Amino acid sequence: MERLPYIAVLVAWGFVSMGHLLPDLIGDRLRGSLRTVAWAAVVLHVGTLAAGVLVSPYPTGFPEALSGMSLGVGLAYLWVVRHRLRALGMLLAPLAMVILGTSLVVPHRSVAALEQTGYSPWLPIHLGLVFAGLAGFALSSVVGMMFLWARRRLKQKNFVGMARLPSLEVLDRIQFRAMLFGFVFLTLGIGAGGAWAAASLHQAFTMDPKVWFTLLIWAWYGAALQVRLVAGRRGRWTALFSIVGFCGLIFSLVGLNFLLAGWHSYGG
Amino acid sequence: MAADGERLLAVGLSHRTAPVEIRERLAMDEDGVKSTIERLRRDEVVEEALLLSTCNRVELYAVPRSVEALQEFYGSFRGPSGERIDDHLYWYRGREAVLHLFRVAASLDSLVLGEPQILGQVRDAVRIAGELSSLGTVLHPLTQRTLSVAKRVRSHTDIGKSRVGIGNAGVDLALQIFGSLEGKRCMLVGVGEMGRQVAVALLSAGLEELLVTNRTFERSVELASEFGGTPVRYERMADYLPRADILLAATGATQPIITVPMVRMALRERRYRTIFLIDLSVPRNIAPGIDDLEEAYLFNIDDLSKVVDEGRQARIQAADEALRLVEDETDRFLASLRTVDINDDLRRITAVAEALRIAEIERSRKLTQGLDERQLKALDAMTKALVKKLLHRPMMAARIAAREGDMEKAQLLMDPWKADR
Repeated sequence: MERLPYIAVLVAWGFVSMGHLLPDLIGDRLRGSLRTVAWAAVVLHVGTLAAGVLVSPYPTGFPEALSGMSLGVGLAYLWVVRHRLRALGMLLAPLAMVILGTSLVVPHRSVAALEQTGYSPWLPIHLGLVFAGLAGFALSSVVGMMFLWARRRLKQKNFVGMARLPSLEVLDRIQFRAMLFGFVFLTLGIGAGGAWAAASLHQAFTMDPKVWFTLLIWAWYGAALQVRLVAGRRGRWTALFSIVGFCGLIFSLVGLNFLLAGWHSYGG
Repeated sequence: MAADGERLLAVGLSHRTAPVEIRERLAMDEDGVKSTIERLRRDEVVEEALLLSTCNRVELYAVPRSVEALQEFYGSFRGPSGERIDDHLYWYRGREAVLHLFRVAASLDSLVLGEPQILGQVRDAVRIAGELSSLGTVLHPLTQRTLSVAKRVRSHTDIGKSRVGIGNAGVDLALQIFGSLEGKRCMLVGVGEMGRQVAVALLSAGLEELLVTNRTFERSVELASEFGGTPVRYERMADYLPRADILLAATGATQPIITVPMVRMALRERRYRTIFLIDLSVPRNIAPGIDDLEEAYLFNIDDLSKVVDEGRQARIQAADEALRLVEDETDRFLASLRTVDINDDLRRITAVAEALRIAEIERSRKLTQGLDERQLKALDAMTKALVKKLLHRPMMAARIAAREGDMEKAQLLMDPWKADR
């Protein structure tokens, strides 16, 4: 992994986060440039990832996974800021920074199954789809937390600084759309993974714990969408489903790859 | 004539200094504004003029030719019983005048803090003055800056965000829940004044439909026709409840008429879409337990006044913030006027230096005779760069001194170049 450009991206997100969290520290003039800096960070991030894929050993390790996720959150930030939801950007920019920072310090190991299959064009497809899904779920859970917080304040009749928060309906709509987006891409990502495994390992399915756990999470999100679309329960229900689901995803991403042996585990 | 902020004068009266009987004597329509500006300029009272006339203020911003003549002009106005109006007038000069105009345009001097109309009125005044070409080296940049400062205040502070009044508090809460009132339906129970206030505010905020119900059907028909709403029979209220995104209750009933089971059923029927309830009545008409339902948000009259208070608080805070911004902008504007001031001098200095350079090249003609075209060009470029570099620091220093208001230092820095020898 090329460290230098990533550090630049990290610094850029640090700047953007500071612009949101401590606006007084950054002058008026600089505050206007936050969006440009965020764009630059995302473009640089994409460029570095692409260069990595083209040039050196394909991205397969845990750091790359986190890096991809940070990129997803960064893209979500751009989308959110475009829609004038500053309060959300305030959460997403630090999130992108923290995930990317983690990716820079965790040890590099690559995925076990790749030693059998070698590089395949399925890899970027599988990873790209899964991480697009992850970004959707990340946005959904962050917005879900905001929804719960904003709702609690309304229920407690606490109106301090009220006008600065997005409305409940807007938050609810975003958490749902982000979840739907995540679900569609995770579905495609799982499908691509299965197709890849079928083509190169001659079995689409195995007792690999990550596959099982991911399917469980997939079902969880499927249930969340059911509850919303069929039973009509939205708002807090969607938020709770989303937050629990994302915790599961984090566990899957961090825990399973290291703890348990299987296709996705990080070998030596 | 150099632009100089100190020559600016603002004179006028507003709701802060004069009662309406006086204000209406000075107030004028567009034609009046035009003819007054024309007259003041024809009589050589002012050089530049901007006249702002609204129902809350009449103000003249001017670069006067003769302050006495201007005082005389204002001395000619009489109050309703023939008295002079001097006591109601304020006169601001220089920085004070700039600050005042910025504050007015940013709605910091308005009767209702942060109200948005004033900016449009200022913009009109600027257009009129512009058509009469009465905006010159002071007022032209000032008016341009005023409009941008007002916009900045609006976008950088929360001054325009929170509104006053119980009706608007209801709208604020509705927006906090729904984001927009587009496509939303409200049912008003009872025809009291408070309910009416909130209903009107909701309608003007974009509410799609208003259902009106009351114990006596005739009253609800009356009120409904007044607002273009739909009357609903009191007995059928529960049937219509699921269709209402917003429920407003303001009746004289002594116990809850909207009960928990009613709302629970309505929610099920509307597939758990959010319902927002406002209870304006005392004793309360909506069962408090409804707020414990997942998708119901119930606010009573105390909650609404809390929103009103919060809005007032937020406004005061925002006004402080805005005032700081406006003061900064005032200083920045005056500094920019001064920078414009020395631009002519700086240009002259550059010209003197250029003349010296050319003269020097002429003098060295004998030495440069053997040079070819390319070498001559290089020599030219080199000497140009040298002059530019040597001038850069003193000119920068003069510019900075001027920007900081230290004209003496700026002049001192430029003096050696000005003396013609």
